[in-house]
Amino acid sequence: TQSTWDQGFVIKMAGSGYDYDVSTLSPEGKIYQVEYAMKATENSSTILGMVCKDGVLLGTEKLIVSEMMVSGSDRRVYSVTKQIGMVITGLLPDGRCLIDRAKEESASFQKQYGIPITGKVLADRIAQFMHMNTIYLWARPYGCNIIIAAFDEFGGPTLHLIDPSGQCFGYFGCAAGKGRQIARNEIEKLGAKNLTCKEAAFNMAKILHKCHEEMKEKKFELEMSWICPETGMTHQMLPKDMQKEMEIRAQETLEKEAMADVQSQIMKNINICLLYTSDAADDTPCVDLGGRRIIKKKK
Amino acid sequence: MESTDRFVPVRDGTTIMAVVYDGGVMLGADSRTTEGSLVYNRVSDKIEPIHKRIFCLRSGNSSHTQKIAQLCRLYVSQLGSELEQAPPVYSAAKIIQSFIYNYKSFLSAAMICAGWDPVKGPQIYTVPLGGTLVREKIATGGSGSAYMSGFVDTHFKEGMTRKECRDFMIQSISLAMFRDSSSGGIIRLVDITKDGVSREYISHDQLPLKQPLSLIH
Repeated sequence: TQSTWDQGFVIKMAGSGYDYDVSTLSPEGKIYQVEYAMKATENSSTILGMVCKDGVLLGTEKLIVSEMMVSGSDRRVYSVTKQIGMVITGLLPDGRCLIDRAKEESASFQKQYGIPITGKVLADRIAQFMHMNTIYLWARPYGCNIIIAAFDEFGGPTLHLIDPSGQCFGYFGCAAGKGRQIARNEIEKLGAKNLTCKEAAFNMAKILHKCHEEMKEKKFELEMSWICPETGMTHQMLPKDMQKEMEIRAQETLEKEAMADVQSQIMKNINICLLYTSDAADDTPCVDLGGRRIIKKKK
Repeated sequence: MESTDRFVPVRDGTTIMAVVYDGGVMLGADSRTTEGSLVYNRVSDKIEPIHKRIFCLRSGNSSHTQKIAQLCRLYVSQLGSELEQAPPVYSAAKIIQSFIYNYKSFLSAAMICAGWDPVKGPQIYTVPLGGTLVREKIATGGSGSAYMSGFVDTHFKEGMTRKECRDFMIQSISLAMFRDSSSGGIIRLVDITKDGVSREYISHDQLPLKQPLSLIH
């Protein structure tokens, strides 16, 4: 007979038994709680960042949860210092807590050393902080991915992506969330290092719209920000009218590309058909309305 | 009576000086540490290393300034590890300032922090008793600095060569040591450039003030 304790925990998952708390390692060497935290971000809004010739870009797409919501109140992109910005995805309250922590770290670094915190140092500190939540029994991991974009006189423009396990790497271009595969491919193809921020921003709008294509029926909006010479190398949201214009252009470009795709598909098919029908064209009684050859067996 | 001197703290009476020249920064100090009227150490080193290219000059209460320099060294080395680059001289000066300012009622310390970093080149920051932080091209400190101010104001010019700077500093510090009873011994010099740091000392028989003074024109 099963005890009441057992009855409460009938979970038929891969990590069965080794996934009850974050301080347990499985026999394969995995920490399932951390993996589950990463799942929290896998199906959430896409976030992405790119390092350009003269600065850094950040962007995210967010589903509009309700028409009654004041637009802009569901913030994902924040300024941590004048020259550092952060974007969050996954469990959003967790993400906002991390942004607060980042602001505290930056303030205490500046107070102690007199210089603004650099992107790499902040990213390392936040990564350590997130990792701390993956080793103690009483805490759970933060269920969010964050991208930190920064500009400083030590490292120039930098971009770091941090995941719930506390892993932190520097990137030229990175993405997380639902559309990350599409975004990563597009970013690689783009080669943003040779574009200015202004040019790359249009492409970012395009990529974000592309990531959203499977959910066309659901309304969504973009949040984009940059650190570039136009903003004096400080972190600012993209001006609203500029963003709108880019989105409209992005939509049009995507539609054109989609049409071009369809047209090229049609062209391929026509080629195949042409070969067939021209062969049979001379033999009129043997071609039906669809252009197919009728072969009569001669007795 | 000698007994009153026993409870006087050990002081760097001192003459300290730092000058930015074309290509680096040079630090100079005398070497006398006193306990009242007793010369406690006549060959002391008032030029403390903080980091590879950052040094500080100490004046005031010896124990206070040594402790501050030690803590500054600790924090600056942590900063250097985090940044993975040469830490800015400004940060070292800021750390010194935070101690002197926040504990000013307990401390009697005035320090000069000087060095070289890749972003701003050679720099000097003074942190006097109250805890202000000022960046300068030339800084002097200690009880002996008053006696050389006229000479320094007349003969300092920006962008000197290394040799001009060295001669200028040796002359100034000798003048201060000549008149200030709390300064004396030998002159220690440290030269910081982007290529490295070199140390030397000018011993008593090489000081320019054995004969009547002839001014550098």
